[in-house]
Amino acid sequence: MGNFKTGFGAESSGPTAPTSEEISLLIDGELEPVRADAVVTSLCRAEGLATWVCYHVIGDAVRGVASRGLDSKRFVELFAAEPTVLAPRRSPAPHAIALALAATVAAVSVVGWVALTTMPTPVAAIASARQAVGVRAADARPAVDNEYVLVHQEYSPTNAIQGIGPYLRAVAASEPDARR
Amino acid sequence: MRVGSPRARRQWPARLRGGIGAAAVTLLVVPAALAQDAADWLQRAATAARQLNYVGTIVYQHAGRIETSRLYHVADSYGESEKLSNLDGPAREIVRNGEQVRCYYPDAKVIRVEPRSMHNAFPSLLPQQLATLATYYQFRKAEIARIAGLETQAYVFEPKDGARYGHKLWADIGTGLLLKARLLNERNEPIEQFAFSDIQIGVRLDREATKPPFATVPPDWQVRESAAADIAPKETGWVVRDMPPGFNKVVEGFRTLRGKPAQVAHIVYSDGLVAISVFVEPTPATPQPVGLSQQGGINVYSRQLDDYLVTVLGEAPGATVRQIAYSVGRRQ
Repeated sequence: MGNFKTGFGAESSGPTAPTSEEISLLIDGELEPVRADAVVTSLCRAEGLATWVCYHVIGDAVRGVASRGLDSKRFVELFAAEPTVLAPRRSPAPHAIALALAATVAAVSVVGWVALTTMPTPVAAIASARQAVGVRAADARPAVDNEYVLVHQEYSPTNAIQGIGPYLRAVAASEPDARR
Repeated sequence: MRVGSPRARRQWPARLRGGIGAAAVTLLVVPAALAQDAADWLQRAATAARQLNYVGTIVYQHAGRIETSRLYHVADSYGESEKLSNLDGPAREIVRNGEQVRCYYPDAKVIRVEPRSMHNAFPSLLPQQLATLATYYQFRKAEIARIAGLETQAYVFEPKDGARYGHKLWADIGTGLLLKARLLNERNEPIEQFAFSDIQIGVRLDREATKPPFATVPPDWQVRESAAADIAPKETGWVVRDMPPGFNKVVEGFRTLRGKPAQVAHIVYSDGLVAISVFVEPTPATPQPVGLSQQGGINVYSRQLDDYLVTVLGEAPGATVRQIAYSVGRRQ
């Protein structure tokens, strides 16, 4: 029982070593705060930072901006000065780093995670990220597949105590779907 | 009903920065009686929702939006029937009779027929699910509050780790019917809420109240039927290798879904309070968006895996559905 995991993907390297995916989740604002602290702390170490900077450089490249030669010390200062990166959902005005990295993540989600988590050479990563941006699939939040949501709801225990209420989710979102 | 252990008063895990140790500590003792309390209470709410007559206005809030709907629920010797009509935006009406749900979209002149199987949900909480519930949530009684003119008792299911959301539920003291339900993220912020703004419980209602808008479908309307509701239980050949702790498999099989030419593998996991669905289908002909999206309190994560599209969704944090999506693989 004591050996309980709060974070994910920390199988072998201990609870504080972040995976590349977790770093990207942090960039994307999707990492749970409990885990975010640990990841941010570990970013001060070389390996984590290298991943972060790599993603950042890719983001710059994707947007056609020359790399700004961000070094680790400067990065840590920037990060320390900008706590909103940890909670982008609450504050939709992230600063340049967050924007650059969001672009990267958007590209990455199209390319597929494996390509980046295996840390390819920067050139290859940049090329594939550029290509991905041409697709622009991650430009907007994708539409949720209503069929999936509807059949899922049959199995959600909380829905049983809320009666038909959760169908409101589907109703609220099903306008374009109804015309399909 | 008892009030929880002293631990119930501790702060939410998210507030305990570096909360790994704290989360581990909270798992050490799980009072069995408390788990039973939670289960009894959920059961009472589920029974009330099914067996009572009630009519009221539901306010649904999510992502900064508010939607109001009128709900009629009738339980009689023929079974259950209910009707939900939205009061703002384009008219929508949902009518449920027993296991069948029909959604009416007057602007599109479309009726969607959704089968709905109820037997998988409460009150069939298995002993294993009950234990899981107590291990991963701190259940406690909260304040007494007045909602829609009625006295309610609030209950909180506080998650002990970052893999799930918190739930706060308000039940009518007299009948047990749930009058308000709120989903809370790791910062204890509401992300979705259902609440009655007015309600009459136990009133005389006949089936007229839940009648569909018309008895026969007008000729210019389209009816879109859906395939069978149930999964045919079967091994799908897909597995989730890194499931967050506490989620156990409820069902696995293939199902036919409207608009999808091929059968879709569907695996459902539950931690006793919420469910997470994993869907795997052959890559559709039209490119599908991938990544994270939301529908109310449901997070959805889609990704491409070889020639398949993997979609994971549930009332759980984005990181949870994402982690699951990335650990889906072929059974060896």
